[in-house]
Amino acid sequence: MATVNNTHHQDSNPNTPAAAAPAKQTVPTPKAVDTQSVLKRLQSELMALMMGGDSEISAFPEEDNIFCWKGTITGSKDTVFEGTEYKLSLSFPSDYPYKPPKVKFETACFHPNVDVYGNICLDILQDKWSSAYDVRTILLSIQSLLGEPNISSPLNNQAASLWGNQEEYRKMVEKLYKPSA
Amino acid sequence: MAATDSSSSSPMCNLSILDSLDEILVGEMTDSWNAFCLATDTLLGGDSDLSFASDFVSHVRNLCSRGLEKLIVEHFLCSMEDIFEKNGASRFWKHFDAYSNSAVLDMEKLDQQGEMQDVLHKALEEILSEKQYQEKCLLMLVHALEMCRENNPNEQTYSESERNYLFSKYQLTVSSVLMASLPRHFPDVLHWYFKGRLEELSAMTATGCDYDNKLHVDDGMDLDCKTGEMDIDGTHTILGNNKLVRNIGEVVRDLRSLGFTSIAEDAYASAIFLLLKAKVHELAGDEFRFSVLESIKGWIQAVPLQFLHALLSYLGDSKSYGSPSSGLKSPLASHPSFRYYGTGIPSEGLVRWQLRLEYFAYETLQDLRIAKLFEIIVDYPDSSPAIEDLKQCLEYTGQHSKLVDSFIAALKYRLLTAGASTNDILHQYVSTIKALRTIDPAGVFLEAVGEPIREYLRGRKDTIKCIVTMLTDGAGGNPNGQGSTGDSLLEELNRDEENQENSGLDDDVNTDDKQAWINAQSWEPDPVEADPLKGGRYRRKVDILGMIVGIIGSKDQLVNEYRVMLAEKLLNKSDYDIDSEIRTMELLKIHFGESSMQRCEIMLNDLIDSKRTNANIKTTIKQQLQPVADIGEHELSLDNLNATIISSNFWPPIQDEALNIPGPVEQLLSDYAKRFHEIKTPRKLLWKKNLGTVKLELQFEDRMLQFTVTPLHASIICQFEDQTSWTSKNLAAAVGVPVDVLNRRIYFWINKGILAESVEESGDHKFTLVESLVDSGKSGVNSGSCEELLVGDEDAERSVASVEDQLRKEMTVYEKFITGMLTNFGSMALERIHNTLKMFCIGDPAYDKSLQQLQSFLAGLVAEEKLELRDGMYFLKK
Repeated sequence: MATVNNTHHQDSNPNTPAAAAPAKQTVPTPKAVDTQSVLKRLQSELMALMMGGDSEISAFPEEDNIFCWKGTITGSKDTVFEGTEYKLSLSFPSDYPYKPPKVKFETACFHPNVDVYGNICLDILQDKWSSAYDVRTILLSIQSLLGEPNISSPLNNQAASLWGNQEEYRKMVEKLYKPSA
Repeated sequence: MAATDSSSSSPMCNLSILDSLDEILVGEMTDSWNAFCLATDTLLGGDSDLSFASDFVSHVRNLCSRGLEKLIVEHFLCSMEDIFEKNGASRFWKHFDAYSNSAVLDMEKLDQQGEMQDVLHKALEEILSEKQYQEKCLLMLVHALEMCRENNPNEQTYSESERNYLFSKYQLTVSSVLMASLPRHFPDVLHWYFKGRLEELSAMTATGCDYDNKLHVDDGMDLDCKTGEMDIDGTHTILGNNKLVRNIGEVVRDLRSLGFTSIAEDAYASAIFLLLKAKVHELAGDEFRFSVLESIKGWIQAVPLQFLHALLSYLGDSKSYGSPSSGLKSPLASHPSFRYYGTGIPSEGLVRWQLRLEYFAYETLQDLRIAKLFEIIVDYPDSSPAIEDLKQCLEYTGQHSKLVDSFIAALKYRLLTAGASTNDILHQYVSTIKALRTIDPAGVFLEAVGEPIREYLRGRKDTIKCIVTMLTDGAGGNPNGQGSTGDSLLEELNRDEENQENSGLDDDVNTDDKQAWINAQSWEPDPVEADPLKGGRYRRKVDILGMIVGIIGSKDQLVNEYRVMLAEKLLNKSDYDIDSEIRTMELLKIHFGESSMQRCEIMLNDLIDSKRTNANIKTTIKQQLQPVADIGEHELSLDNLNATIISSNFWPPIQDEALNIPGPVEQLLSDYAKRFHEIKTPRKLLWKKNLGTVKLELQFEDRMLQFTVTPLHASIICQFEDQTSWTSKNLAAAVGVPVDVLNRRIYFWINKGILAESVEESGDHKFTLVESLVDSGKSGVNSGSCEELLVGDEDAERSVASVEDQLRKEMTVYEKFITGMLTNFGSMALERIHNTLKMFCIGDPAYDKSLQQLQSFLAGLVAEEKLELRDGMYFLKK
């Protein structure tokens, strides 16, 4: 019977899932962060995202800069945002993943936690950030934020007050929704 | 009646003579003239009454004395022409009226031929006697004129040239009369006549004088000397004295004297060519295993040239021209071809004939061979004599382009079709390369011929696989030839190369001035069709492997496919015997370079290491276990286990399939792995339990059976050791594989008659062990076909991911990336997609395709309606 000599090359074996999914261990923060490892991390996140097969969220680096990504999320089913598609921009700091990326809506989004400039109020993008999060989890969190806003700390008061009336809210979303070309 | 310039001696018109004419003189002259005319008519009328002759002469003399000589001659010739037209020509043509319908001539009945021959002879005889008579009359006139001159001392004597002039004028008259009235079918008549005679002659030479063509087909090697010796006292004398040749000679001579020189020559030339063509077809035909060129040349010497020689010498044309100029010698007639013509020196006419005939023979043979080139190459190398012949023909005729066109057409029609297997196409391709290499060492025509094949093969999916099999397998990848252990193509190539290199080495060593001069002299220009862009002929040396790799485009793909095949082969080995693989590998290294074969080399080294490690582990485990000595229990010892330890990073991706194997075996494996870890710390063994082979012995009540099967098959049958009946669901769970996999694999045992399948009411399949043959009478019937079934089954269950699988995997990754970028950027141009992939798709597999490859891949996605292409921009199809 054939066997695999699975020894010293273990970590560089591209077929092992360990390399594809980024390290989930939490933050023993080394001070000096070299760009190379950030690149590597973003690279593998991209690979994981591409191979993940999520159809409702997506993101991809801009043409020549892997620190700037464009993201796309679609409104979940059975929410007022069903059938909409929102573009986002993600900008990664040079000490990512120890600092969260800056995420903004590019498409205008009528949402209690999104202001008119597209800024998002989401805890994991601020004080609750952990290096265990990645692009995929960020996008999934934002997607679920759409359907479950945090009414208690709104950035858009009008949206927050309208949230109670889902029917009206839906109409408002449709009225303000301007899909990108 | 005008008597203008009566005196041939005076260049000027002496008009004063007219003044001296009186009426009496004129009257006398008129009388005399009339009498002359009458005499001429009577004479030419043909009643050959010579009493008129003296009368005629006196009239002529009379008129001559008055200076009317010119007039007399003119009139006489005119009358002769009239009469010849009336009596000779029209009667002559009447003989052939029966053949005016050319369809009649097509019927080659012997009696009709004989009849035609008779008619021709008779007609010629008749018209010639007429002509002879007229010539006699003409002679009479000449004599009369001569006498006049002699009597008149003022005149010059009648000169030879004047006399010749008269006769040639008459000759011209005769032929122009005949030509003017020539019926259209006459050349045909002549053609058939000569054809019939030549065939007769050829048959005579073939049987009559020990000249046996078949003899020469069998031993064409010593043909030259044989024909030479035999012909001196055989063919030559027979043909020389032959009545038939004399007959033909007579006919030709007669025809010539009637002015049909060129028609006659055309007729016998076409007859000879027809005969030659028939001969070439007869000799060459569908036989490719012997060279026929020499026998054809021999035949040309023996039959048509001998005939022509006899004919020409009979006609008196065969004058010797001192020494034949070298330029007239046939360039291919290396042997002294004319030494058996008696005199030794051939006439110029004969040399011309030989050149014509040989060229025609070459062309005919070439056309014949080109038309059959496809079959010839199928038979290669058995057919190499035919190729050699064709080469010589082409050197002489230079019609290479004909070959290229015709062969490409044949290829397209007969080979490059869906029905032909890739193997066959590849074999034909290799044979084509080898065969055409002989004809055209520079590879110029090969380039043209090979392109359609390469183009076609690129469209086939299994091309690479077939190429690798062909290169590395002794059986040449031919499934029918499994038994034969012929050399692989690679070995053959290597042998060739060594030979080439050796000869090349010699060239290098002897680079003194003399050798350089010889080399320079043997330089030949490229064929005209050569593409100057492709470099000189020496750089373009035909490289079979290069041309094969050229089909695929890059050697990397080839090496990759080989790696997969090698992995498959190595994983199925149980005895670590990899000598042949090492040999193949070394050969491949020579051609592809060390670096590209590195991974394959590591794989082979794994096998070598495995053998050592395996032995090491076994001996050490035995030593440890000896005191405990409890392994007799299941009769399973490490002796039964051999492991192949691979460095999986360097192997192609290996199919991993979970599998529960029987406990004792599992135990054995873990012992083995533990020992390995002890010896090779920090390395650990991870078993790929689904790979490898298991040798089994099944004992039943009434029989014992041995099998070599996959681990999964073995695990399945092991489950029946304790429990003789399983439902498919339970069995699948026990073995640890999905139900559908189990169902597929278990058929092996059902086909062997060892398990029986039944369907339970719940819809679940149930398998029961067949303990003895009595239970199932059908097992014997099935055992025949199951072997093939197993083969087919294993084909589908490869242990290594094939190159196509890998490629598909790569492509899926690209597709996901492309979908990802298009989702976020909306639309992108080809270039940008390409650059983006290059920049970000750098994991495994990294993006390494060209812009063109990407474009065709995208086109595929567009066709699958996953993407849309508008104005050069790609969109996701929603």
